[in-house]
Amino acid sequence: MLRITGGTVYDPANGIDGEVKDLYIADGRFSSKFEAGRTIDATGMVIMPGGVDVHTHVAGGSINFARAMTPEDHRRTHAFIRSKTRRSGIGGMAPTTFATGYLYAGMGWTTVNEAAVPVLSARHTHEELRDIPIVDKSSLVLMANNEIILDLLEEGEDERAKHILAWHIWAAKSYGVKAVNPGGVASWKYGNDAKHLTSKIDGYDHVTPGTIITKFAKMIDELGIPHPLHLHCNNLGAPGNVETTLETMRHLEGSRAHFAHLQYHAYGGDDWGNMRSEAAQLAEYFNAHPNMTTDAGAVLFGDTVTITADGPWQHLLYKLTGRKWGNLDVENETGCGIVPYTYRPSNLVNAIQWAVGLELLLLINDPWRVFLSTDHPNGACFWRYPEIIQLLMCADYRNECMANLPPNIKNKISLPEINREYTLYEIATITSAGPSRALGLSHKGDLGIGKDADFVIYHRDHDIARMFGHPRYVFKGGEIVIEEGDIRETPDGREYLVQPSYDPEIDKFLRPLFEDRYCMSFENYPVEMERIERSQIQDCITPESEG
Amino acid sequence: MGGKVTCTLGEVKQRADFIVYWGGNPAECHPRHFTKYTLMQKSKFLPRGRKDRTVVLVDIRETKSAKAADHFLQVRPGKDFELLTIMRAMIKGQDVPEAQVAETGISIEVLRDLIEKMKKAKYGVMFFGMGLSMTRGKHMNAAALLTFAAEMNAFTKFVAMPMRGHGNVTGADVIMRWQTGYPFGISLNRGYPRYNPGEFSTVDVLVRGDTDCAFIIGADPGATMPKPAIDHLAKVPTIVLDPHVTHTSRLSRVHITTAPAGIAAPGTGYRMDEVPMPLKPALNSPYPSDEEVVRRIKEVIATKPDWMTNQPQMIESQV
Ligand SMILES: [Zn+2]
Repeated sequence: MLRITGGTVYDPANGIDGEVKDLYIADGRFSSKFEAGRTIDATGMVIMPGGVDVHTHVAGGSINFARAMTPEDHRRTHAFIRSKTRRSGIGGMAPTTFATGYLYAGMGWTTVNEAAVPVLSARHTHEELRDIPIVDKSSLVLMANNEIILDLLEEGEDERAKHILAWHIWAAKSYGVKAVNPGGVASWKYGNDAKHLTSKIDGYDHVTPGTIITKFAKMIDELGIPHPLHLHCNNLGAPGNVETTLETMRHLEGSRAHFAHLQYHAYGGDDWGNMRSEAAQLAEYFNAHPNMTTDAGAVLFGDTVTITADGPWQHLLYKLTGRKWGNLDVENETGCGIVPYTYRPSNLVNAIQWAVGLELLLLINDPWRVFLSTDHPNGACFWRYPEIIQLLMCADYRNECMANLPPNIKNKISLPEINREYTLYEIATITSAGPSRALGLSHKGDLGIGKDADFVIYHRDHDIARMFGHPRYVFKGGEIVIEEGDIRETPDGREYLVQPSYDPEIDKFLRPLFEDRYCMSFENYPVEMERIERSQIQDCITPESEG
Repeated sequence: MGGKVTCTLGEVKQRADFIVYWGGNPAECHPRHFTKYTLMQKSKFLPRGRKDRTVVLVDIRETKSAKAADHFLQVRPGKDFELLTIMRAMIKGQDVPEAQVAETGISIEVLRDLIEKMKKAKYGVMFFGMGLSMTRGKHMNAAALLTFAAEMNAFTKFVAMPMRGHGNVTGADVIMRWQTGYPFGISLNRGYPRYNPGEFSTVDVLVRGDTDCAFIIGADPGATMPKPAIDHLAKVPTIVLDPHVTHTSRLSRVHITTAPAGIAAPGTGYRMDEVPMPLKPALNSPYPSDEEVVRRIKEVIATKPDWMTNQPQMIESQV
């Protein structure tokens, strides 16, 4: 048993905003009583629930492809040295698996959601997730360019498509569904894209990105998947794409939806020269529609490597930068692209992107619906989150940073007019309580009795980036994993899955299609349960449980 | 510039209407490649199968694979890089001196015709084999081919993929990358991964005699490595895990017979396109799996005192 006394607690899930309160922990959870055991005096310190990353890329074929493409970065970055109980690793733009666990836990994050798992290589993703210590994990399977499902939607066989979707979620041992550039990736396989919701998709006469999005959101709601459709909209990264994003949001009225890395979807103008922020317009619509959540996909200046399942966007980046390009098309579902990239404050487009991420976080007024993310590693590496927290909490610091932007950015962004400063309570919401709720992980991001004892104790510090980058203690499942920057324990995390129900007869329908399209036999595809370390199946939402 | 543009084999099977094999002999080295993925398969997009696909073979000698190809380009030995560079220039419409082209062993007319066909393809794929990646200037050759494929995307869809060797080479490469950041040629002797293929590759370490013990799993370096490397293996305590008696097991101090993976031991194999495949054992074996042996050795080592103590947890920059 463990007792934490005297700390100032920020626990948005229970409406606790900076109260001095004792916490008791037993068997890895918060408890109502304390009988005996260690007491930690946290007087004068700040306590928050452990961070939850709703959208990151830490395991699987694409990040591993990125590791292969960046050996020069591995050499210049910090290295973790092995000990008798701890594996070695490399940090940097695309950290190795063990280092990923140390770096997340080191800044107080205790749960991460790997946001893009191609169906065909789900087994690989789970093998990597197993090698990420300390944090709990979940993953989303990429589905919205799956040709078997698109063919069924084309024929109006929506009910069967839903069973096949459920089959894939369970076969990939995933926690939910990510849709990337619906229809666009399927077209990209022939070098084309689908930029608008009414765009024609190569090989289809009826289904458009618009129908795919609405039907997927509906299927996911009907299956009761705890996390709603996780959507990477069409037309990512292009000037003027705010129109596509708004059109997408209108399509989804009445459904639940999570919009991934909204920063990349909030631009006005019609070319790179007159590109401008449309964060204000987007935030206004978003504020009025409570069915949606989003993560920022914020950008920080510096080096990174961009990876996404959005092949067309990556090819554009490659043409713009002339840097290395990696692209991986995965049969019958998705592709991914990889480009090393440096965001520079002197580059007008990058400067606008930097402002847009912050503007969205500051202009969306409900912290329960907008979450901290950089779409790691695309906008910046996850271990730079403390810098974003500082930008959100200190308007003065923001203004200092803005002084480095090109002068012609005036009138293209609205950041200079925003005075809002986040409170600690709001930071705890966008980093933990909010993403936990959006993921449907009700035992996370909450310091209430019976919830998982994943939490962080910080020294109070006027230097906000330092405060959040160097917690005093990090607890995972009631155990001290980090103490003043030292890694104390490296327990294995859990992996969350869902098991939506589907008609078992669907196997017979799927088998011949599968054997025709995939170069893997049907039996070999589903990932076996024993492959998942410390798996935990979360309940789907039934009409009764919604109450 | 450069990079890697690739796909999984199912994409090739479904979509590739233009297939180049560069420095490989799939007919003999990967006998199922033609029938399973490239030549013979029919698909939604290529309903006539072989008739809908164009196949080109580039190699220094006319192997059995040449018979299966529509076009065979016999490149002069050691001229792959030059040929790739010339083709990269030609796709962009740049002039190349004919004499330089002739040195590669291929005529400019043949190249013009080939490039025209490549640009007309809907989905092209370039496979490159040992012939390209293991000869003189091997890294340069592979990089030039990958860049060529990336640049073809200005005209049409093109991808590239290495044709890798036997066993689970790809699997080892994939796992080393996620655990250490590097695919091979890694040293962990300072307690963290360092990468230097010419220095830390197994063959280099053995030839220099830099190791005082060798632990070999499912490989037979005794059959393929240069003599100084083999001599060193025989000199130091060498431990071999292998289902069979091999050249290496004969010169080893300890040979532990293990169950053959995929036949009598489960696991995951990674295909050459990095798609993971479950290995489902068909037979029982009286022998333990490699994994079990390694785990038991690790358990014993864990009881010994740590030889590397008083190390910092992390170093900020590597030297
Ligand atoms: Zn992402």
